[in-house]
Amino acid sequence: MGDKQKTKILILDDEPIVLKRLKPALEKSGYDVEAFSRSLEASNRIMEQDFDIVITDLKMEGLDGMEFLSQVKERSPVTEVIVITGFATMDTAKESFKKGVFDFLAKPFKLGEIKDVVAKAEQKIKNSE
Amino acid sequence: MSTFTDMIKAAFKGRKKSASKVPFSVLFSVFQKILQYNNQVLELMAEMGTKLGGAYIFDQQYIRSTCHHIADLVYKLIYNLNTLAPKKYLKLYDALGAINSDIEEELAGRPVIPQTEYTMPYRLITDDFTEVVGAKNANLAEIKNLLGLKAPEGFAITTQAFKAFMEYNRLLEKMDALNAAWQKGDASKKQAAEEIRRLILEGTVPQPLQKEIYRSLDNLYQGVNPEEVLLALRSSATSEDTEHTFAGQYLSLLNEPRENILQAYKSILASLYSDSVMEYRRQKELMDYQDSMAVACQLIVDAKVSGVLYTLDPRAPDRDVMLINATWGLGAPVVSGKVRADLYTMDREEPYPLKSLDIVRKPEKLVPQKGGGTDIRTVHQELQTKTCLTDEQMKQIAEAGLKIERYFKKPQDIEWAIDHEDNLVILQARSLNIKDQVANLVCDISSVLDDFSIIFRDKGSIAQEGISTGKVFLVKTEEDLDRFPSDAVLVTAYTSPRLGKVIKKASAIITDVGSPTGHMATIAREFRVPTIVNTGVATQLLHPDQVITVDARENVVYEGAVKALCYYEFVDEIFETTYEYRLLQRVLKKIAPLNLLDPSEKNFTPSGCKTFHDITRYVHEKAVEELIGLEYDRTSDTARAGRKLKFDIPLDLILIDIGGGIRDSANISYIKPQEVISVPMKAFLDGLSVPGGWDREPMSVDFGSFMSSLTRTFSSSMATPKYIGQNLAVLSKEYVNINLRLGYHFNMIAAHITGNLNDNYAYFRFLGGVTDISRRSRRAKMLAEILTKSDFRVDIRGDLVIARIKKLDLEMMEKKMKILGLLVAFTRQLDVKMNHEQEIDRLKNVFQDLKNDYIK
Repeated sequence: MGDKQKTKILILDDEPIVLKRLKPALEKSGYDVEAFSRSLEASNRIMEQDFDIVITDLKMEGLDGMEFLSQVKERSPVTEVIVITGFATMDTAKESFKKGVFDFLAKPFKLGEIKDVVAKAEQKIKNSE
Repeated sequence: MSTFTDMIKAAFKGRKKSASKVPFSVLFSVFQKILQYNNQVLELMAEMGTKLGGAYIFDQQYIRSTCHHIADLVYKLIYNLNTLAPKKYLKLYDALGAINSDIEEELAGRPVIPQTEYTMPYRLITDDFTEVVGAKNANLAEIKNLLGLKAPEGFAITTQAFKAFMEYNRLLEKMDALNAAWQKGDASKKQAAEEIRRLILEGTVPQPLQKEIYRSLDNLYQGVNPEEVLLALRSSATSEDTEHTFAGQYLSLLNEPRENILQAYKSILASLYSDSVMEYRRQKELMDYQDSMAVACQLIVDAKVSGVLYTLDPRAPDRDVMLINATWGLGAPVVSGKVRADLYTMDREEPYPLKSLDIVRKPEKLVPQKGGGTDIRTVHQELQTKTCLTDEQMKQIAEAGLKIERYFKKPQDIEWAIDHEDNLVILQARSLNIKDQVANLVCDISSVLDDFSIIFRDKGSIAQEGISTGKVFLVKTEEDLDRFPSDAVLVTAYTSPRLGKVIKKASAIITDVGSPTGHMATIAREFRVPTIVNTGVATQLLHPDQVITVDARENVVYEGAVKALCYYEFVDEIFETTYEYRLLQRVLKKIAPLNLLDPSEKNFTPSGCKTFHDITRYVHEKAVEELIGLEYDRTSDTARAGRKLKFDIPLDLILIDIGGGIRDSANISYIKPQEVISVPMKAFLDGLSVPGGWDREPMSVDFGSFMSSLTRTFSSSMATPKYIGQNLAVLSKEYVNINLRLGYHFNMIAAHITGNLNDNYAYFRFLGGVTDISRRSRRAKMLAEILTKSDFRVDIRGDLVIARIKKLDLEMMEKKMKILGLLVAFTRQLDVKMNHEQEIDRLKNVFQDLKNDYIK
């Protein structure tokens, strides 16, 4: 598989451990993954490059996850966003879905769960192409 | 954490009102809250434990919020217990405060060290203390304590000691100045490093630290002659043996007399600032202060033969061989590469056949010198060209090496020695860095995997992640457990605590049923054995001696040995070395262990509560006890107060329904068995009334004398005399707590059974008395054997038997309650009949027959 066909994923989470474990796991599944722990850097990156899938935490220092989510969707409406958060409430879930997120996972989650969600998002992107 | 203290203060404020003559229903609702919080705590605790298995992504936020959640629930438990028994258990708040402040320290990144902060004996070190004792000490302690291999006796001088030394001598400020001078070019690197080392060597070891070191030395030398056995002092820096290989950069001292210890200690600290190390740190962009030096202080092993084992050839991992270097005497020359040594190349698979042997002439050997230091001696002419290891020793080294590799999930570089009693001793183990080579091997894992057939995938849950290869061994009976071979894949229908003894020998575990929060899963995590539970199909699809590869990461079981997959694991980041893993492990130590098993033991007090689990257990026990002895207003709701069970066996049992345990239509003064709808109580009564279970022979000791012994033994735990001798059960739809005094026995059974197996548990406690000790222990032994056979987890202490079982489905739990019922009925006759040891087997068979006939 050449790099061109690989699905591009950006992960944003302010706890490095999440990136440290998620990035290699998704790479092993054949994705092209970039990981950021600072929202500002992630925010700059999405201005340079469109990603197929963005995985983001909601509650972070600096830029709020909800805001980042809006930025992503504004810049590239076809990007599928998966929200991961340790503060899952009905309200945040509702708001996320209103903003068009693909799925919403409460932390902690199983590695298998997020892989399934990513695979489904990938499928959706392929189907719409 | 101010909110927490506020909560405690609020608790004292709100509790002024007198609680006398509160309606029973009010007190019951308090009791029910306690049960509910109790279950929530146990659930959260179990969930936290499963996170160590590696299948979940979790962060520090999760650890923090779950700790706070549990602390909050434990607080509520204490509060409610003090409502049930006004102000009787205020001391529990102290226990909660102490545990909580330790947890808060951990969460703030300050590990709480047991005993003292400056030294730690190996037996207390676990890998979550790596930051405190350095990787070398931590690895060695794990090898010794957990893997059961022989390693030197010793203790660690911690990084806290290092910090105290640096602070006492104001070295950090002085180092900053020197570093600044070097950066500016005012001093050369060599000058700066030299000056730092001089300051350390001339520094004073602070008094409290000296005291600690000498105290630990005294303990180490107990029963050892200090003239004969000297010390090995080794560096154990926090950066050493990690991804940054500072290997060989720091100082190790062999054969130091104990009076040299402080100077030797300082020399090792100083080696943290050698020119080469400082330069290396600079290149790797590591700050000086990020590195901290712990020291290993060990009794030296006078080695007959020493050497190094690589569990994989670091230059050519795809050869799939192990390499052993060996020489006569101490190993330092081999380790430093100063002399040539014999080279054994061995296969990595049992029985580890020798592939090639390269013998060199070994004219000299290093030996410890009397009084200190080492000396070079000439090797006896005949031995110079002889191999140093026997076949048996080679195999032993290989086995130990692979055991260590499997545990640390990386190929290993191991220093070993054979002492003069021919014991293999592991001196040091660290990961071999083979990242670059292995990457080539497994670059396209998906195409490699296409060549292997999948036996099953995505069945069940991962309890401990990891990848492993081995031969299938099916465990069905007790005898199978005794025959379980090392490195086999354990395949079994049910998880049972009985499996505990073979888990550490297994290369992987697969079960048909079971829960990742169960007891077996906890042990599998402790030994890091890749484990998949609840597959539903394992015993059908796998057959004995079949070679399989268990990928407990992707949840796949492959036919055959997929070596590439195992290599693949070698290059991955090891979850167990992450800060979050260790933090979770450390806080769990303050949360999950249960020290309070037996209410009649001395430590069953608020101050004996060392963990949240202890407090939870204590509150639960006392809540039941208080409920039994409550002075409630009996006139207001008699319908819910105690009623007698009308039973065809002479069991004087009072039932108290706290919600949905008894049919509403039941009589106000007595209850018929068929009116009991509490799930666990119904099952228990079914077992109790099995024909032939209840022996109707009269008791040979009169009840009065039995009771007098009871009041003596239980006066503290059974606070209200009017209920002594009263059999009592508190029940609800899904819960029961039964207190029985039958004949000689004091019996407590608690169970919770619902449709959700994670909520389910049964607890059985049996304490005898009156009769002579040999009969009592015979009885305890028999109960333990019967309960173990029924998959209970059993603890025996003297004649106290505690059995627990949890997380089975509703039907299985009912069956277990029936067995407990039958057992209670059955034990009534035991003292009378168990005059001889042989009786045990006979009675066990009688019980087994009854069980087979009536409990399907």
